Amino acid sequence: MRKSKNEAFETMYRQHHSMVLQMCLGFVEGDKDTANDLSQEIFISVWNNLDKFRGASSYKTWIYRITVNTCLQYVKKDRKETPLSKSEIENQTTDKDEEKPKFDDIPKLYSAIGQLKKIDRLIIMMVLENQDYISISEVIGIKPINVRVKIHRIKKRLEKILKNNTDE
Amino acid sequence: MSSDFKELQSRWASSKKNIELSAANFDNLYKKIKHKEKENYVFYYGTITTLLITLIVISLFFYYVAPVQETLSRIGAGLMIFGLVFRIFVEIISIYKAKQINNLDTTLKAAENSIKFHQFRKTIHQVIAPIIIGLYTVGFYMITPEFSLYMKFWNVVLIDISYVVIGIILFIIIRKGVKKEMQKLQDIMRLKNDITE
Repeated sequence: MRKSKNEAFETMYRQHHSMVLQMCLGFVEGDKDTANDLSQEIFISVWNNLDKFRGASSYKTWIYRITVNTCLQYVKKDRKETPLSKSEIENQTTDKDEEKPKFDDIPKLYSAIGQLKKIDRLIIMMVLENQDYISISEVIGIKPINVRVKIHRIKKRLEKILKNNTDE
Repeated sequence: MSSDFKELQSRWASSKKNIELSAANFDNLYKKIKHKEKENYVFYYGTITTLLITLIVISLFFYYVAPVQETLSRIGAGLMIFGLVFRIFVEIISIYKAKQINNLDTTLKAAENSIKFHQFRKTIHQVIAPIIIGLYTVGFYMITPEFSLYMKFWNVVLIDISYVVIGIILFIIIRKGVKKEMQKLQDIMRLKNDITE
């Protein structure tokens, strides 16, 4: 029994680790250490809940729910978090003088995502993961139509942030 | 934006491929899982264990060491014990509410359950804890007259003063707890608003 649980867990880990870690990176503005800690928390929660998976939703929806909830709970624990200043964001990204196409820099994208509201960060990352409105609504718990409106707003906000960051 | 966003999605996907799965150290991960299980156990059952031990010690004390005789003292001892039993009961409800926060729920439901839990914790700190401490204090001072028959006056005074000091410390701890719960509650309510707006 334990062996089969281990096997299921390890398969799930291999399949979804990169997705989970990337979402964590986006959530914590590219801070690798924090993202690693957070992804570990998520997989500990996956392990603890593995027996409860009933197949009512897909494994991916299931993992997304755990990822989103763990990320949000993590923020609850950490009150010291402060938004990065513009100069800090610049330092986190690559060479300032290097002219690159608008979205050619993933750290810049992490920084931009990090300037959104916490729930918006997670929603937009699910969109970046090519999840449709219905899947996202199953994770968040609001109607697909509301998800659609929300995503439209978040995209606009993200576009503005990216534009401002590129202009500066 | 749509073409830009498609570009973003493709950058996101190619960046994900670069996140290498460093030879997953499952042994290490399983160790952390075990450690976390212990931590959770302490989180859920630490307070209740402490309260139960205190209850047993106090009950044994009044039964074997200092079986008070006077009615006033007996009521006092009863109030002290009742306060503890009530606190244990409240803690059981608190554990139940904490366990309702499930990572498998939708974000909205998890946020709503978190709000219920923290509102309950706030009530514990703001209302229930002061009532229990009040009961305990009244009970404590009700048994001191009988104790003073068997103890030196200054010892009784010392015990009474030390109780006041403990009371002040408890007040500070409770105040800190209330502030913490209020902050958490505000955070989760803000999150819930962000989800539903």
